[in-house]
Parts: sequence; C-alpha cells; structure tokens
Amino acid sequence: MANPHTNQPAHVKHYFVSSEQQFDAAKMGMWLFLVTEILLFSGMFVAYTIYRSWHPETWTALSTALDWKLGGLNTIVLLASSFTVAMGINQIQRGNQKGLLINLVLTFVFAGMFLVVKYFEYSAKFEHGLFPGAAFDPHGVSHGFDYATYNVPYGPQFFSIYFVMTGIHGFHVLVGMGLFAWITVKALKGRFSAEYYTPVENCGLYWHLVDIIWIFLFPLLYLI
Amino acid sequence: MSQDHGHHIVPVKTLVAVFGVLVFLTVLTVVLAQFHFGALEVPIALGIAFTKAAFVVMIFMALKWDNRVNATILAVGSLFVLVFISFILLDTEFRGDLSNTTETTIMDQQRMDEGLEGREPARSDISFNR
Repeated sequence: MANPHTNQPAHVKHYFVSSEQQFDAAKMGMWLFLVTEILLFSGMFVAYTIYRSWHPETWTALSTALDWKLGGLNTIVLLASSFTVAMGINQIQRGNQKGLLINLVLTFVFAGMFLVVKYFEYSAKFEHGLFPGAAFDPHGVSHGFDYATYNVPYGPQFFSIYFVMTGIHGFHVLVGMGLFAWITVKALKGRFSAEYYTPVENCGLYWHLVDIIWIFLFPLLYLI
Repeated sequence: MSQDHGHHIVPVKTLVAVFGVLVFLTVLTVVLAQFHFGALEVPIALGIAFTKAAFVVMIFMALKWDNRVNATILAVGSLFVLVFISFILLDTEFRGDLSNTTETTIMDQQRMDEGLEGREPARSDISFNR
C-alpha cells in the first residue's frame, strides 16, 4: 500500500522523505522527552542527596525500614521487563509478529508484578502509620519490631522522599502499562511489521528509562 | 535474517548476556551493601548503578548503534543534571559557615576589645548586643 504521490509505504507521512527519516525523527523526539524525564527525577534525587548529606545517620538507619528483598525482587522484575521489551523489538525487526506479542504481554505482566509488590510494601507502611508528610505517626509492633523506633528527627523527611520518589516512579510504571496495553492491541491487529514498528521502539525506550530510574532508586533508598 | 532499512538488530545472545550481567550486578550491589564501607558506600552503590544503567542504555536501548544525535542529547542532558546537583551542593554543604556574623564589623569588634582591655569598663562601655 504505497502513497501514490511520494511512492513511500502508507505509514510514511507526506512531510518525511522516507520511512527511515520518519523513524529517526520519532526516535530523536523520544530521546528528547526522556531527557526531560531524567531532569524530572533528578530534582527528587537532589532532594534525597541534600537530606542524606545533612542527616547521614538517620538516612542509613531508616533505610532499614525498607525491605531490600522486596526491592531486590522488584529490581529483577523490571530488569526482566526491559529484557522482554528488547526481545520484542528484536522479534518485530525480524518480522516475527507472534514473538513481538508474547514479549509485549510478558513486559506488561512484569510491570503489573512490580506494582503488586509496591502495593504490599505501601500497605505495610501505612498499617504502621508510616505516611508521607504531616500524617507521619509510626506505631505498632510487627515481627517483634517496634515501629515507634522510626519516630526520629528528620524521619518524616526520609519517608516523604521515599513515598514521593517511588510513588512518581510507580505512576510512570502505570503509564507504561497503559502504553503497552495500547501497542499490544495494535500488535494483535497486525499493525506492526519489520518495516514499521516505531511505536514499539518508542514505548520500549520509555520503558528502559523507567527501569533505569529504579536501578538508581533501589540501592539509594533500600540498601545504603 | 537480513537487517531492514539499516536498523541494527541486537542479537538475542547479546540481550541474554546483558540481562545476565544486570542480574549479577544487582546481586553484587546487594551483597556489598551488607558491609560497612562508610564514606565509600554511596560511590560504590552509585558506581554499580551507573554501570547497570550504561548496559541498559547502550545495549537494550541500542544507543551504541544509534544515530549519534541521540547520544549527544543524552550526554548534554546528563551534563545539566551534573551542573544542577553540583551547584546545589555548593550551597547546601556550606550552610552555617557564616553563623558567626554580628551587626558590627570584625574591625570594629577588635577595636572595642582593645579599648576594653585592662580598663575598668564604665557603664556606658558595656554593650550586651554587639
């Protein structure tokens, strides 16, 4: 199905000379957007840095409130999801629509797993009064541990930063799930091929950045 | 399988290998966090995180084989993040260094001290809020 005026495949818009140019332009646009996302998260990382440098012992002590096993599991889950996205692109580059579909669904499932783990993490916090901001009121004993121990100066700030950073990251995961649901539907309809898979490429780039943000969040919040 | 329109296809073997490296580095960072390296903890954790991010960017996002303009965009963006955090730290790390300020200048304070030395202070010379 070629465009009779430009002799290009139908998916090429009239203001691009070729499919190649259109693909490159789209990718560059996505990279520009990704830089704005990096800047968004860097504001929060800077807040973390400042408070950590002002209150290092509090920061190290309170990071024990975060379960590194769950955080580690979430890290592996997101790394796996990045792997499946890259695999999906590999498949569609070779024209394998079924391979693309399987990997898109896997990515979506991994993203869902991440949010489920986060749900359990957050509810455990809320149960014991660990809320962001003014509602901070640690109480209760669980597994022999007294949560009132977290009632220290600058404790609220630590948890505010934890909730805001992982919350905004989690929102990005949710948006990613929406994007993948959208392109999965398109893939099911056979809209992608080795000649045209730009939305898959760009959603993949977005998703890798979401993974990278978590790669930094996990050690900084949970481990050290 | 032939490559299409010059789009570089990253081989499955490479993707699997990189995934393996990423999982290994995750395990490494968790293991190293069990030790207490003091001031080195943050650099070590960040070093491993940057390495993982580099693998994701270069291989999974295929920046290694991509049009150079995208790498430039990322590099410049990262540079600005560096500027952002550096200048903020220049401020926040040195706060409180000037907490010894008073209303009078240091020279005036020294003059007053010299004048008061070895002299019985008259009532008018005593000032409580210098």
